[in-house]
Amino acid sequence: MNEKVTNQSAKINLTEAQLDMLKEIGNIGSGHAITALSEILNKNVEVSLTSAEIHSFWKVPDLFDNHNIEVVVIYSEIPFNSDLAIIQIFPKESIINLINLLNDYDKKSIDNVNSNNDLDDFSYSIINEIGNILSGHYASALADLLSIKLIPKVPKVAIDTLNAILNCIIAKYSQLIDYLILINTKLIVSDLNINGTICLIPSIEILRSLFEILNVKYDMNL
Amino acid sequence: MNNIKTYGRIEKMDRNGEAFLPIGHYFITNCKNIPKNIHPKVSIYGLGSCIALILIDFKNKVCGMSHILLPKARLNKTIDYPHKYADLSLKLLIQDLKKHGAVKENIMAIIVGGSKIFNLDENFMGIDNTKAIKEQLEKLKIKVIGEDTGGSEGRGIIFDTKDFAVYVKLTREQNYKKI
Repeated sequence: MNEKVTNQSAKINLTEAQLDMLKEIGNIGSGHAITALSEILNKNVEVSLTSAEIHSFWKVPDLFDNHNIEVVVIYSEIPFNSDLAIIQIFPKESIINLINLLNDYDKKSIDNVNSNNDLDDFSYSIINEIGNILSGHYASALADLLSIKLIPKVPKVAIDTLNAILNCIIAKYSQLIDYLILINTKLIVSDLNINGTICLIPSIEILRSLFEILNVKYDMNL
Repeated sequence: MNNIKTYGRIEKMDRNGEAFLPIGHYFITNCKNIPKNIHPKVSIYGLGSCIALILIDFKNKVCGMSHILLPKARLNKTIDYPHKYADLSLKLLIQDLKKHGAVKENIMAIIVGGSKIFNLDENFMGIDNTKAIKEQLEKLKIKVIGEDTGGSEGRGIIFDTKDFAVYVKLTREQNYKKI
């Protein structure tokens, strides 16, 4: 990871150790986020192992389930050097189950929520809050690990098919390179029929900084 | 443009005669030269900020389509997927169409997509693909005969290369409509 990337089409080459470290970072971050979620819902949240993968920009949608159904995506950007973002993806039905859980009256159904405009303020604020809590806890765990400041911006919410929503995120991260790095964790709250994905997306420049910090702080050789 | 290879050409279609067009990929066909039944429907399900660019020479029955992600390429880099970029994609599609028998003066364009899904007031990261592709089309003097762009919702698009019909629907709509 010492060379500056000038060849856009060059594949990003990460060593086993580096990939393992990314998985560990993802486990730590998502672990904190999911503990927080579990406390709010007062339910057990199952979490998958985190995967860290490098994908061609055009294959990114295939990494996720549900890429042709409607989902709710919460996008939180973390201003740190260049780019770091956390995206949370929930099938529409899961979000509605979540809203209905926290909302005793005026239950929503999957048919009448098709876009941001169909959500009343209360529902929208629930989604925002969940987004804030998950990304905030994820970022704070990373911040502790790296001894740096990582505060996510206000999250942005979109409801549409996953492929359409991912367009602009892929655009942002593949302006200078044809590959994206995705650190992905799945979660399930089986009691409530809620499932989702939290994905950390670092730019390649961020990775360099990340590994440097870890090398210095923990005497590693990444 | 000698540091540009061109990956991303779609050639196969599935059993239903459909060819999915991923981001940064393109499709070209001369509809006169292929057997009668093999006219794929080229589709994109989930078109957000990207632009689907369709170019057709009706007289010579040659057409092409690309799935554009970004406005402008940086030319000091090696580029494997030029159809990611509005400026390169248009130029290359026209070149390829001409190789397949099209005449530039006949070529017409249809553009679909370019929505701001996260519904922000400002351009998400300053990426305005619609503006970029329109500028390129004007620069190369290609007439736009159909357009369905903008808004804040995703779209699905199907381009039937048999009769050059383009069908579009918003995510929340049930049925495709011809544009």
